Amino acid sequence: MKRNQWVIVLVLAAVALMVWSGYVNYKRRKQAAQRQVQGTPESANNQSVQQDVAADEGLPDLRGKRAPDFTLRTLEGKKLSLSDYKGKAVLINFWATWCAPCKIEMPWLIALRSQYAPQGFEILGVSEDDADTPRAKLAKFGQEEGLNYPLLMGDDAISRKYGGVEFLPTSYFVGRDGKIVAETAGLVSKDEVEASIKKALAAGGK
Amino acid sequence: MPRLTAVLVTAGLAASLSAVMWAQMKDPPLPLPGGATQRVDPAAAVEFLSPGQVTVPARRPAQIDLHFRVADGLHINSHAPLDKSLIPARLAVVEAHGLNVTAVDFPPGTAYALQLAPREKLSVYTGEFVLHAHVTAEPGDHALEAGLRYQACDANSCMPPHTIPVEITVTGK
Repeated sequence: MKRNQWVIVLVLAAVALMVWSGYVNYKRRKQAAQRQVQGTPESANNQSVQQDVAADEGLPDLRGKRAPDFTLRTLEGKKLSLSDYKGKAVLINFWATWCAPCKIEMPWLIALRSQYAPQGFEILGVSEDDADTPRAKLAKFGQEEGLNYPLLMGDDAISRKYGGVEFLPTSYFVGRDGKIVAETAGLVSKDEVEASIKKALAAGGK
Repeated sequence: MPRLTAVLVTAGLAASLSAVMWAQMKDPPLPLPGGATQRVDPAAAVEFLSPGQVTVPARRPAQIDLHFRVADGLHINSHAPLDKSLIPARLAVVEAHGLNVTAVDFPPGTAYALQLAPREKLSVYTGEFVLHAHVTAEPGDHALEAGLRYQACDANSCMPPHTIPVEITVTGK
């Protein structure tokens, strides 16, 4: 084979290699994007990266810290504190009636609450609606959505304790030991919520 | 023959560059992990663009087009959300002597669905949208003061409702 022919073959091989690597790169990124949308955790390491970014973008990183205690009133006017749930895994879910993604996750929360309550799991739904929103309106909303967990009237104090809560939904997962094991800002998949509940149930033992 | 080699090398480089560019362009945008959202001040979610000043025929019905823009990556509920619990976009107008705003027309919303709930449709405004205010003005300058109340969200999360000021000098001639 002449020298020039070798050059042609090499160039074509290089081009083919680059096209192939470009295609593989595209496929890999597409799969990664799908995994994130579906909330399939790739690995524990990946999950922690996800949460770090959540902390950077929307939430102060409270993981590993004791969940700030609070006392709020339920829609029925009864006082309820986080400390009432000592020894249980608790999901503190900040929501509002005007929050479309909050409504989307509610059926998931209802199902997960039913599934994990026997193991010592509870959800506290903290409303971020305006303070002057009638309780009856919130109660009607909760009834229509079929919520099976306590709804609490949020206030500035709890928002401050949990980093301002500027975006909804925002969730903190508290382990049995009272420490926050996971936090999310914005709607995440049901699988991711369930994974965080399991983490909270596992934290601190029974 | 050296010329042929040069042509081939150039063609090879061009092809490889194209391949890389193709891969980049076809690459889907990665969603922010963990449902994380970019911090956006609710006040910056919508901007009133124009007009700052407008002249209308005095004592005759006229229309003023109010231009707004929703920040990239965000949407607000339209004037007629599909879910009654959502907060619609509304314009509250301050009554002014010599200037009467008789009606405000809102555009229809566009259908939008969150990534994790593609079947749940919302009616929203994104990008630029225009309201039509129907006015009657007496001769002279008048201050049209109004507030656009909206509730903004991104692909995964929502911000509290907010109102931005709308101020226009309306001259009746």
